[in-house]
Amino acid sequence: MAKEGLRQIAIYGKGGIGKSTTTQNLTAGLTELGKNVMVVGCDPKADSTRLLLGGLAQKTVLDTLRDEGEEVELDSILKTGFGGTRCVESGGPEPGVGCAGRGIITSIGLLERLGAYTDDLDYVFYDVLGDVVCGGFAMPIREGKAKEIYIVASGEMMSLYAANNISKGIARYAAKGGVRLGGIICNSRNVDRELELLRAFAEELGTQLIHFVPRDNVVQHAEIHKETVIQYKPKAHQADEYRELARKIEENELFVIPKPMTQDRLEEILLEYGLMDNVEDDYRI
Amino acid sequence: MPKIKKDKNGQTNSINQVRYGCALGAMHSVSAIPGAIPITHCGPGCVDKQYMSLSFYNGYQGGGYSGGAVPPSSNLQEKDVVFGGAKHLDQLIEASLKILEGDLFVVLNGCIPEIVGDDIGAVVARYQEKGVPIVSAETGGFKGNNFTGHEIVTEAIIEQYVDKYAQDKETKKKGLINVWSELPFQNTFWRGDLTELKRILEGAGWEVNILFGYGSKGVKEWLTIPNAEFNLVVGPWLGLKTAKLLERKYDQPYLHLPVLPIGAKQVAEFLRAIAEFAKENEVQTERFIKQEEKEYYYYLEYFTDFYAEYWWGLPAVYSVVSDAAYNLAINKFVVNQLGLIPGKQIITDHTPEKYHEAIRAEYQKLAEDVGAEVEFVEDGYIVNQLLKQEDYGHKPPVIFGTSWERDTVKELNGHIVEVSYPVSYDVVLNKTYIGYRGALTLLETIFTTAISQSA
Repeated sequence: MAKEGLRQIAIYGKGGIGKSTTTQNLTAGLTELGKNVMVVGCDPKADSTRLLLGGLAQKTVLDTLRDEGEEVELDSILKTGFGGTRCVESGGPEPGVGCAGRGIITSIGLLERLGAYTDDLDYVFYDVLGDVVCGGFAMPIREGKAKEIYIVASGEMMSLYAANNISKGIARYAAKGGVRLGGIICNSRNVDRELELLRAFAEELGTQLIHFVPRDNVVQHAEIHKETVIQYKPKAHQADEYRELARKIEENELFVIPKPMTQDRLEEILLEYGLMDNVEDDYRI
Repeated sequence: MPKIKKDKNGQTNSINQVRYGCALGAMHSVSAIPGAIPITHCGPGCVDKQYMSLSFYNGYQGGGYSGGAVPPSSNLQEKDVVFGGAKHLDQLIEASLKILEGDLFVVLNGCIPEIVGDDIGAVVARYQEKGVPIVSAETGGFKGNNFTGHEIVTEAIIEQYVDKYAQDKETKKKGLINVWSELPFQNTFWRGDLTELKRILEGAGWEVNILFGYGSKGVKEWLTIPNAEFNLVVGPWLGLKTAKLLERKYDQPYLHLPVLPIGAKQVAEFLRAIAEFAKENEVQTERFIKQEEKEYYYYLEYFTDFYAEYWWGLPAVYSVVSDAAYNLAINKFVVNQLGLIPGKQIITDHTPEKYHEAIRAEYQKLAEDVGAEVEFVEDGYIVNQLLKQEDYGHKPPVIFGTSWERDTVKELNGHIVEVSYPVSYDVVLNKTYIGYRGALTLLETIFTTAISQSA
């Protein structure tokens, strides 16, 4: 069992919003604060730990289970990455067969049985794919594994729709357990009035915009080099942004049950900040 | 708290004392066809549960050649859920074909593979291409109960096997009929009942594809389904879907007779309706009715002494708690041949809503001057509450029901005749309660039960 005081955090957000990138960069920041961190990728694509490990290095839990059966050694699925982070990828079945949601449940169960949750850990991060499409993908929060959730979003409309939907899931599970929303992380897309919009959106949900991560190409450069920004360019401004995000999460004390919006209210906020107008006036293909 | 939806009797989506199995229970429809073997693709325990409930604690009907402990199962585990169980099923079919001899194999899936999305049709298709007589039926439990499963299985066999292997699908054979009636195993007395149904139909001049049980010629009989002159659906609703499928597919008309006939009056009405529909066998029908009635009333004549003289304690009011087919059948018989008075009638087979109105109408014309109200209820608690609230007058009632009603009947100081699943206090071999012969047996059972209460 996990020790008391261990913070288990799930990161959700629309597909492609930058959950994995943000998680790994912020994890790198936490290791600089001397924290022991494990990252569990909960996505059949198995790309949640690529930057920490310098490539798609380890075999996923489910591939290992499939090939080797139940007699799995922890070493074969858990690899150590940048800053001593422990990295695991749940993986999933082949596209079109089986149940990936159940796969995540199986993987986390196996990690527990194999003793991956050691006493020296300060943080476990679950990087969960896109929208919460079924109960299996809600596993990290459903069974009270992760009690803290952060949603990665941007000023783009669909990302806010997704964030609002995810909040509905959190509110549902919060009613029977201790899961709480710790805040919204903005991964900026340089949309007009993005900061104001995200602040208003977070406030409406009853949470906070915990950090606004500006858009910077150094992130992409680091990704190409299969590294986090902190490793790739430790002195870059963007590295400090991730350090700042890590510090804010370390010091965060605001955990709430979100108040998801109705569709109408969400659209009102979007209109208020001009986003709908922009969409209408944007004729780019 | 979210508000729980209730129907007019207070029934929610949770029921206790179930009165049917899940769709996978239709594996029994397969093992009821001589020569057919079910292969099940489901979790551990699913098959056992269906067998123990529908067959064992329901008349102790047994497993036989391809039921009970025989059907192979993939016993799906967590690994099959995560990665899909198609490969596992493939291995199971291959192994089953090696060690089991059958004329037809029917692969039925349970909830797990259907939710996970195993493409059992694709797995089975590979064997079909090799000429193996095998079909697949998607009978995930959430599809409905075993009545629904029965229709799914029947359709699967017709579409994937009969249609492919029937030598001649065009020629119609005069006088040949397909009979769609009781649900094997669910209807505890199906073996005896189908034998009697076949006997009376043959007696009236028809050639009968009875399709299930000892009287069926098995899988090769199924291949002659397209050659029948028409389909005969006996019962309030089960079989109608199949008959409509065959009407579309093979241009076969169908005759729907809602009353499963019990006793001379009902059987005569039944046989005459068929002869009139087909404009055939009229003479043979009348000849058979005359001959059978002679025998039937011979016994009834002697019974009447008892019925007239034994006036201290025979029931006057009755209720039936059963599937739709038996419910209507018993109602018709006891009103018309015994003069009993209907109390509460409860149909428990989760009859599809679209048939309710037509069934209610049947109860309005039980006899010229007798009608009854019918309730559609699946929950055992509500069934028993309804029975307790009924006014049976000054004499104890007879309840035609299931083992679940025993305690209530004791409270009512009444008599119970178990006629519907689960029948856990009868050992059933070939007993029938329908037709001419079954009617006499039913009379014996009713009154033996009534007079032995004080024994």
